[in-house]
Amino acid sequence: MVGGSRFLCARFPHLALVVTWRAHPELRSEPVVVGGAPELRLPVLAASEAARTSGVRPGQPLREAQQRCPGAAFVALDETATARLHEELFTQLHRLAPTVEVGDEAAWCDLSGRHAAHSDGAGWAIAIARSINQLLDDDGIAVGVAGSRLVAEIAARQAGPRRIRRVAEGEEAAFLAPLPLSVLPMDPAVATRLAALGLDCVGAVANLSAADLQRQFGPAGMDLWRRARGGDGVGEWQFGHGFGPPAPPRRLGERVILEGGTGDLETLRFAVHRSALELGDRLRHRGCRAAAVTLVCELEDAEPAGLRITPLQPPGSGAELWPVALELLAGLRLVAPVTAVRLEVEGLRPGTGRQVDLWRGGDAAGEEIDGAASRLRARFGRAAVRRAELAVDPGDLPERRFRWAEPVAQVDGEGHGSPLAGTASAPAAAEERTPAVSGAPVAAMPALRR
Amino acid sequence: MSTPLSQALATLRRRHGEGVIRSGDALGGVEAWPTGLPILDQRLTPGGLPVGRISLLAAAPGASGRLTLLQALTSAASRERIAVYLDLVGSLDPGFLADLGADLTSLLVVRPPSGRWEEGLAMARSLVGAGAPWLAVALPGAEPLQRPGLRSGAGWEHRLTSLVESVSTHRAVCLVSAASPLPPALGYAASLTLDCAAGGWEEAHGDVLGLRTRLTLVKSKVSVPGETAVLLLRYPRPFATAQAVGRPALVDLPLTTDVTDVSLSAAG
Repeated sequence: MVGGSRFLCARFPHLALVVTWRAHPELRSEPVVVGGAPELRLPVLAASEAARTSGVRPGQPLREAQQRCPGAAFVALDETATARLHEELFTQLHRLAPTVEVGDEAAWCDLSGRHAAHSDGAGWAIAIARSINQLLDDDGIAVGVAGSRLVAEIAARQAGPRRIRRVAEGEEAAFLAPLPLSVLPMDPAVATRLAALGLDCVGAVANLSAADLQRQFGPAGMDLWRRARGGDGVGEWQFGHGFGPPAPPRRLGERVILEGGTGDLETLRFAVHRSALELGDRLRHRGCRAAAVTLVCELEDAEPAGLRITPLQPPGSGAELWPVALELLAGLRLVAPVTAVRLEVEGLRPGTGRQVDLWRGGDAAGEEIDGAASRLRARFGRAAVRRAELAVDPGDLPERRFRWAEPVAQVDGEGHGSPLAGTASAPAAAEERTPAVSGAPVAAMPALRR
Repeated sequence: MSTPLSQALATLRRRHGEGVIRSGDALGGVEAWPTGLPILDQRLTPGGLPVGRISLLAAAPGASGRLTLLQALTSAASRERIAVYLDLVGSLDPGFLADLGADLTSLLVVRPPSGRWEEGLAMARSLVGAGAPWLAVALPGAEPLQRPGLRSGAGWEHRLTSLVESVSTHRAVCLVSAASPLPPALGYAASLTLDCAAGGWEEAHGDVLGLRTRLTLVKSKVSVPGETAVLLLRYPRPFATAQAVGRPALVDLPLTTDVTDVSLSAAG
């Protein structure tokens, strides 16, 4: 765990249900379905516990909910009152915790550190639980406290109404170990494959190595490994929290200052080459590849000139980055002497490959191909690589029998050699280095002029 | 007793790996992707299209059936793996592919926005390098091939070489359709060249039901060239209006071999 993070999760009835109960107290013990009249072709938004025991679930058509629970009271959503209650709850919790997230059926608070008004974390959690209970006037509130957001939520589910379940620091994995795998959010196909191998509890998965899970399931395998050990998946809360290695920076940069400014092509090549090798070493050290590469030349008494490119093969070393940087340099139009060269890489992602799936063929290759297609779309436009799908209601003309499907994902970066918008104010890279030695002396360079 | 030759071999194996030097008989046979058309798999191409090599469908300009055959084989491939269709002609009709039984969700259509061959080949190489196992390339007719840049073999030949290397490295099946005269580099890069020639329309009650295509194996690095066969490419739906919109003149070729009736439709 990083920095002793503590999270609180409070689970409560859907806020729309609470609003309904406030308006109609007589319905508190009755099955209630929020969404509207059953004749409407709308989904169920919320259902009381009594309705859920009859099989009603959010997302079901209201008509189906009526068939499952004929005696339920169907009420429309009071959007205004629900939004007001949502805001009240957020404000109330924000008085007690610095970072708060409020959903329709659960709220999360960051309990990291200490609170001046409470001697320990338990008192802090009790104060928050009482605050929610007082506002919502409901006894069904369950609270969990743990070192990660996910474990806090699972602890709240395990706690039951009017209870607080605290998982001690560092005990998250032990808490999860005996629980069934179904408590972890995961792709059903992954769950099926794990079950086929006899892995039926979280502890069994936590004992597998991260490398094995990564090889078999890709990024989802790493998320599963983190969660099984009591952490959060990447990006679920914020970088730096939870278990596992910190996420790589989104951008790296190298800047070489050219003393006095120069228009000498060989000097620029030298500076860009040096930047590419330095940056490539840093990429290789981190095991990353870059989705986009940017070259900016800062000019004397003129706006900087820059180009960004999405390489077809994401560079992960200096040798791979240098041809890309050279292509960018060749595409720049320099109207004044260059005072500094800035090379940046963006869209960093792990550069290690993934083993071909031995259990279910094709998916790993599919991810690679989809990634390559996304890079091609980023560089050549969305129409460069497409999939077609048959039209639901085809017309007589051949071109109306199908439509081009939209790509599923885009990589970071712009098109091929696209000039940078607002190059003059281009922000510095998240981790940019300016070498102490500001480039080689211009006089020492071969005097090849463009 | 170590000889200079054995020492040199040991040095190369130590430096570059065990697989770098093998005896000729250890290379084994050529892996092939079966097309599902018996006349191709058993007669013209041993076992199917060779894996890791470039196969070429060549024809004189006009209706020869090479694009239909290319699209039929691509459709068959898409039913079992991800297939890439590099459309440099700009005439692909996904609806027709669907009629041929293609799984459109497994088919990536690549079309370079500039229409330049070099870009298209680079894009195809990128996808093959990412693991795309089946690549179909539809090259335009003969006129663009006469452009000086292509005849002199500028950038696109370099791209073609890269594509050949990528296809070989990643064990992909690559089928190229091109109109004659072929660029020399393309003809050289292909391990297998099938020449397509129109053999006449198949008609019934005024409807065009298909096209006879005579295939001749004019070049093969994996089998003995010279074989000839005739395919009847039966269209998935009759084209009753073919007469009205016009079609190329019939080419009357003496059929020296038996006609093989191949239904291209998915149900057939």
